[in-house]
Amino acid sequence: MPADTDTESQQPLQEFLAEREEVLRTWSTGAEVDLEEGIAYQLSIPPSRRFTRVLAEADREQRVLVQPRAGVALVDEHIALLRHLQGEADLLPTTIDAYTRQNQYAEAQKGIDRSLQAGRSVLNGFPAVNHGLRQCRRVVEAVNRPVQVRHGTPDARLLAEITLAAGFTSFEGGGISYNIPYAKKVPLERSIRDWQYVDRLVGLYEERGVRINREPFGPLTGSLVPPFISHTVGILEGLLALEQGVRCLTLGYGQLGNLVQDVAAVQSLRELAEEFFRLRGFEDFQLTTVFHQWMGGFPEDEPKAFAVISWGGAVSALSRATKVIVKTPHEASGIPTAEANLQGIKATRQIVSMLADQVFADESRLAAEVDLIKSEVRHLLKAVLDLGQGSVAEGAVRAFQAGVLDVPFAPSIHNAGKLMPIRDNQGAIRVLDPARVPLPADVADFHRERIQERARFEGRKPSYHMLIDDIYAVSKGRLVGRPR
Amino acid sequence: MGPDTIVLGVVGADCHAVGNKILERVFSDQGFRVVNLGVMVSQDEFIDAAIETNARAILVSSLYGQGELDCEGLRERCLERGLEDVILYVGGNLVIGKNDPALTEQKFRQMGYDRVFRPDSDLAEAARALHEDIRQRFHALPVA
Repeated sequence: MPADTDTESQQPLQEFLAEREEVLRTWSTGAEVDLEEGIAYQLSIPPSRRFTRVLAEADREQRVLVQPRAGVALVDEHIALLRHLQGEADLLPTTIDAYTRQNQYAEAQKGIDRSLQAGRSVLNGFPAVNHGLRQCRRVVEAVNRPVQVRHGTPDARLLAEITLAAGFTSFEGGGISYNIPYAKKVPLERSIRDWQYVDRLVGLYEERGVRINREPFGPLTGSLVPPFISHTVGILEGLLALEQGVRCLTLGYGQLGNLVQDVAAVQSLRELAEEFFRLRGFEDFQLTTVFHQWMGGFPEDEPKAFAVISWGGAVSALSRATKVIVKTPHEASGIPTAEANLQGIKATRQIVSMLADQVFADESRLAAEVDLIKSEVRHLLKAVLDLGQGSVAEGAVRAFQAGVLDVPFAPSIHNAGKLMPIRDNQGAIRVLDPARVPLPADVADFHRERIQERARFEGRKPSYHMLIDDIYAVSKGRLVGRPR
Repeated sequence: MGPDTIVLGVVGADCHAVGNKILERVFSDQGFRVVNLGVMVSQDEFIDAAIETNARAILVSSLYGQGELDCEGLRERCLERGLEDVILYVGGNLVIGKNDPALTEQKFRQMGYDRVFRPDSDLAEAARALHEDIRQRFHALPVA
């Protein structure tokens, strides 16, 4: 049974430190990083700007924290953006650009130069590695909220080194959730290995009294991912992080649109994570949840987008998530202006506050959906852990190889892409064909029956056309993709 | 004569995969032979595939906002490598932020793209336009 310090899955410290030297040499700004100095700097950050503290308070008070996404190419503009948002947001982000996410720092530099020339950001995020430690510290010091690094990086070792030493107190991502939905050819064993490095680094900070929050990316592709798939990945990444010494975890879930399924998903995520963390021998951890407002296609029309945003805010409150990540009325067009971003936060805050004292009432339907997700996740996680013969990392790698774990619409060639989700007649995501993902027989039957119910209602067979209708439904004003 | 070949992919460091999978499906259903390069495709990978498969058109997607950087120079690069007639389509959220679609279209037309599509374009309509563009450029009878 693995204990709280799991030396078996950890690299020997000397090897880790030798690897650090190499990582810090991969771009010039790595030279600015000194672990001891970074720890001392982190220790000087007041509690009000620490993610772990703000999360713990909200969790105790059963309050939903509101957090946007935001990032632009240049430092001063990025600071201005965060300052514009901080009055309405509880937690702040720094969203990293797509070149940095692929370790293409020379391309990111071109983006910085072009943004300077153009007088506007031509990058879709903040290139933290290129800006380096000192500039990143200007960002965290310029605001009065905790700041998190949000990205989508299969190899985030250098990004973590720079941003953690610079005073960011939370780091999103994981070896599965930042590979399968965010990369094409990166082997899973590689990204899991590189994220063990990130978690080990967070563990070293933790050992020295600096608690960094880690957040596996829950929504994955954000495209009709059944809760049991994203929960299983989130719990695996939680275990991988705990093994490396991480102690503060926020597990995530992306809104699917059916109220009962969404509330049940957040509740079951937390309970299942507790269950499996303890089962694997971990007792000392701080666990919270994050609810992502709808991650699929948005309506172009801004009032309609506000409806989607507000519905996400409502469900985040009813589901008792610790925080909600908000969308903006510009979502259909991509990156929002600061003003549009602020509008999304305000709409969310209004509805979260209005629902703060209400609970979700339909207890029996909720309990049934919670039980369903729990039985699915227990069945699937057991299969994954069995494949690893004791190793979480190896279990995850083999599960994707075998198609036992399968994420719909993922770009990675290491993902089978055979599992076929479809909405049922009330909009909950069910599985028409699980392919090689193991589900208990009665559960698989239940999924098919629910989809058949819709098929009868619509007078057509479940097919890829139905799935495409579901993908576009929200942007066209519905949840279930009815025939046109 | 068999179906016309087209090359499909998401350019640059962009990993948006959903639309790409749907485009592959729809354009195949509409009678094209689709060579889908998936996400994160470089300009040279598009051109290599177009040369290898004798493609009539390259369909470039970009959803993450950095399309302005990734898409410029593709037409010139095609000409350099001997693809003189290839049809270039581009579509998605092509620039950072919410912009006037007419200005975006103009910007990408100037880069040498034959048609520019918004993210909510009707795909069947796009496929019809592509059949017509290919017919005019490659299959039209010479004027007597």
